[in-house]
Amino acid sequence: MLFNRHLVFLYVTLAVSVGYFISALSLGAPTSDGGLTPSFFPILVGGAAIVFAGILIVQKLREGADAAATEGPRSYTHLWVGAAIFAYIVAFKPLGYFLSSGLFVFALIVIFSSFEKLVIKAAISAVITGVAYVMFQQLFGVRLPTLWG
Amino acid sequence: MDFILLVINSFSLLLDPFNLTYVILGFVIGTIFAAIPGLTATLAMALLLPLTYTLNVETALMACASIYMAGMCGGSITATTINIPGAPSSMMTALDGYPMQQQGKGALALGHAALGSMFGGAVGALLLIAVAPFVAELSLLVKTTGKFSLLAFALIVVVIAQRGRIPQAGLAACIGLMLATVGLDAMEPITRFTYGYSNLTAGIDLMPVIIGTFAIAEVLMQAASSRDISAAAAAAEKVRIRRRDFLPPLSDIRKIGFGCYFKSCLIGYFVGTLPGAGGSMGSFLAYTEAVRTSDAPETFGKGNPKGIAASESANNAVCGGAMVPMLTFGIPGDPITAIMLGVLVINGIQPGPQLMSDQAGLIAPMLAALLFSAVVLIPLTLYLIGPYFIRIVSVRKDVLYAVIALLAVVGSYVATYSTFQMFMALGMGVLAFYLRRNGFPVITMLLGYILGPNLEEFLRRSLALSNGDPTTFFTNPDSLFFVVLTLVFVYFLVIRKPADKPAPAEAG
Repeated sequence: MLFNRHLVFLYVTLAVSVGYFISALSLGAPTSDGGLTPSFFPILVGGAAIVFAGILIVQKLREGADAAATEGPRSYTHLWVGAAIFAYIVAFKPLGYFLSSGLFVFALIVIFSSFEKLVIKAAISAVITGVAYVMFQQLFGVRLPTLWG
Repeated sequence: MDFILLVINSFSLLLDPFNLTYVILGFVIGTIFAAIPGLTATLAMALLLPLTYTLNVETALMACASIYMAGMCGGSITATTINIPGAPSSMMTALDGYPMQQQGKGALALGHAALGSMFGGAVGALLLIAVAPFVAELSLLVKTTGKFSLLAFALIVVVIAQRGRIPQAGLAACIGLMLATVGLDAMEPITRFTYGYSNLTAGIDLMPVIIGTFAIAEVLMQAASSRDISAAAAAAEKVRIRRRDFLPPLSDIRKIGFGCYFKSCLIGYFVGTLPGAGGSMGSFLAYTEAVRTSDAPETFGKGNPKGIAASESANNAVCGGAMVPMLTFGIPGDPITAIMLGVLVINGIQPGPQLMSDQAGLIAPMLAALLFSAVVLIPLTLYLIGPYFIRIVSVRKDVLYAVIALLAVVGSYVATYSTFQMFMALGMGVLAFYLRRNGFPVITMLLGYILGPNLEEFLRRSLALSNGDPTTFFTNPDSLFFVVLTLVFVYFLVIRKPADKPAPAEAG
């Protein structure tokens, strides 16, 4: 089995390590006048990362069919959570703290539970948003963005 | 001696209602997070890290110390009552705690756990107070080449301590080192790996790394997990605990013996000083030693209070041990001390040999709070809110994770008032999530990221001082010492395969 989710992760890690290694090489020669240059350490680290990623890929390929058999049921909830956090960050300044945070907390409560009792969940979201605002802005003096500036 | 007096004087800071509130609040929050399976005190501390911007550094460090102590003992609550360790360090406690609960002695088991934690925490803190100044003085003898060898030793030990997954740990450490090289070079005016983003010129900030690695990754892990703890919550509803049953009888304590408590403390303390070992390794070794030296080893695992005492004494003694390398060399022993290091760095304080001599006034209150948490807060919290602790498991997970995510994302905004840091935290969270999901220990990534800049700088300085001669690492006595120490650890942990022991569990 050349592709399962563990292997895909290792392939991505290997690709990133190779990219990092090439970028490190482009910084110049690793040594100059008997001393180390800014490229030496990254070349060393990138090389080591490629070796470790290679070892892990070979190990995984040897495991082969056993690994495929042990893959559990897939859950995609984390993708929704990741998307919600991304959308929240994008909306944080344009929409202001209250609206963006209220919607974010509501979305997460729904993602982690179910699409039921929405009014209660909306009320809980409003309370959490308000309490967090008091904590950050009033108690700890953090200036949060609002629609009114 | 001066430092010990300074610590004693620092107890007066605990009389300040403001400081005391933060210490108590930190302890309660640490206990709650440690008691809920899936959450850890590390997560609690990562969430509270942004708030340290607005606190003075003494108060922030005192709160961190109490969270640390609470995190080590809080996991025993659910370990004992419903057989689900709230924290990895309480795994061994569950072996004897839960059988006692089944025999109707749950409260007594919690009492033994609290007594062991109290003893372990106090001995660990006292040893730290006594030993740290001497280690700091010794550390002044370590010069540039020795510092490189020491940091390399710490990183190598963290990697090889992850038995069974050394390549994963090595790759995670490399990822951390890669992150550390982003930004302006420390010795020459050259930017590296910024790819035109001016926001990256100063490097990747510690705050989004910690928040992403521990808070956002945890929320993603919980979202991806299919674990249903409703059965645990239902079991928790049935558990009845009475205050009067908490106090262990003197005969039980005598049977456990002072030697067992003290030996477990020493094991925990010394395990704590090793980078990456942590509370779970400390409690495992102490428990094994208690079984080995017992007259009735067959009673362990069936409700022997000695097992609880050994496990809890050791994991709380780890707190004191783990702070020794963090305070004296700037090398964190586990994720919590890594965040404490973050608190110091955020406040412009550089941990290392000079810290104990130049800024002992900042460190002493933290050690006083550590001791105070062990001796006063552990028994007091158990007595006052112990009967209700078990209800923590029943808290609504949807609301809990929504709150954690909100605090994490907004917390990452606090440092620079920039959404870039929020995106960085999300990016680090996604990275840490996939690392954890694929069996990579994130502690090695974090240590790579934290130690990376100094590791590179000392390597380059050492070779510059020796005109590029690499034998300098073997000819300087301080460096040679750490090279030999590294080889000794490699021999014992990799070449001479020891008995099957668990890899140190992640606290994050």
